[in-house]
Amino acid sequence: MIGSKSVVEKKQKYTVFTIEECPVCGQKTKREFQTGDYITKDGAKCTKCGNQTRISLIYAETTKPPK
Amino acid sequence: MPVDIDPNGIVGKIDHVVTTRDDRVRQEVGTIVGDKNPVTVSVSENLLEAATALNTIHKIVRHFYLLGKKTNSYFMLVQLQMLMPMIIQEADALVSAVDTFKLAQPLGDGIGAVIASRFMVGREKQTIARDTVLAVNEYKGRKLYVVKAEGPMAYVGQPGVGIRHVIEEMGVKPSAIIMIDAALKLEGEKTGEIAEGVGAAIGGIGVEKYQIEEVAAKHKIPIYAVLVKQSILEAITAMRKEIAEASDKVMTLLNRVIEEKTKEGDNVLIAGIGNTLGVSQ
Repeated sequence: MIGSKSVVEKKQKYTVFTIEECPVCGQKTKREFQTGDYITKDGAKCTKCGNQTRISLIYAETTKPPK
Repeated sequence: MPVDIDPNGIVGKIDHVVTTRDDRVRQEVGTIVGDKNPVTVSVSENLLEAATALNTIHKIVRHFYLLGKKTNSYFMLVQLQMLMPMIIQEADALVSAVDTFKLAQPLGDGIGAVIASRFMVGREKQTIARDTVLAVNEYKGRKLYVVKAEGPMAYVGQPGVGIRHVIEEMGVKPSAIIMIDAALKLEGEKTGEIAEGVGAAIGGIGVEKYQIEEVAAKHKIPIYAVLVKQSILEAITAMRKEIAEASDKVMTLLNRVIEEKTKEGDNVLIAGIGNTLGVSQ
């Protein structure tokens, strides 16, 4: 029966992550988004080569796979 | 809105009215917020827009509900009931957008700005229109003129005015205009899917699209479009992983379009369209 199930999808929980990328060695680090983050902002020092990283992406990912 | 029987064209008038409205809203929001930080003011402007849209939905639904009751019109209420899932979806999207705006996170709609920013990092920027910046870069012997709204504020800029400025005032003769934007997907299509086509890839009420088509047609410049598919909810909430991950594929496609459609020594105009919240340059 059409009316037996809601047509509006259930809300999924998302967590937003920030990706810091080293422009020298290409090492990528993923961490949780912090207020004030924006793409192209300087990040932490690269754990591999010590150079200044840059935020290359900010995206939301589902915390649990949908049932 | 201006009268639409004007035989001389009303796009200029619409542009004037919309610009006046934007100026007024920004000024009033700035006064209320009392903060000089442009990110805070632009985020507040977007929050006001979301609240206005929600209020409009509420008023329209209430109007038809009360009118249906008042006139004992079953059909009016049945029509309203049938539309409710879509109306709720849109309202839910707006409510979800509020959290994203408050945290100043990049939106799904900002994918065009993300791509443009990759060409602009470390380059000198100049303002070419209201909230719109330009940077010049190079790729395989081509000179790239890259346009996007000024981030990380929640701006969409004036890409139409910007592109016209580059071509007519700066005297740049591009061999191609390539526009990157988010596009609404149909149910069944995958989020982050990429579509390639021709024509001005830009939404809105049509002013910017008109301006871009006008200048491109006048100077006989082909317009190519690269689109990243997403739903309305995904476009106005935090950028989903699938959309963000499409950026590398878009870069590959963009490079291929540049190589195929232009030759060494050519100028290419690249426009990253969309709300640039959380995306600097």
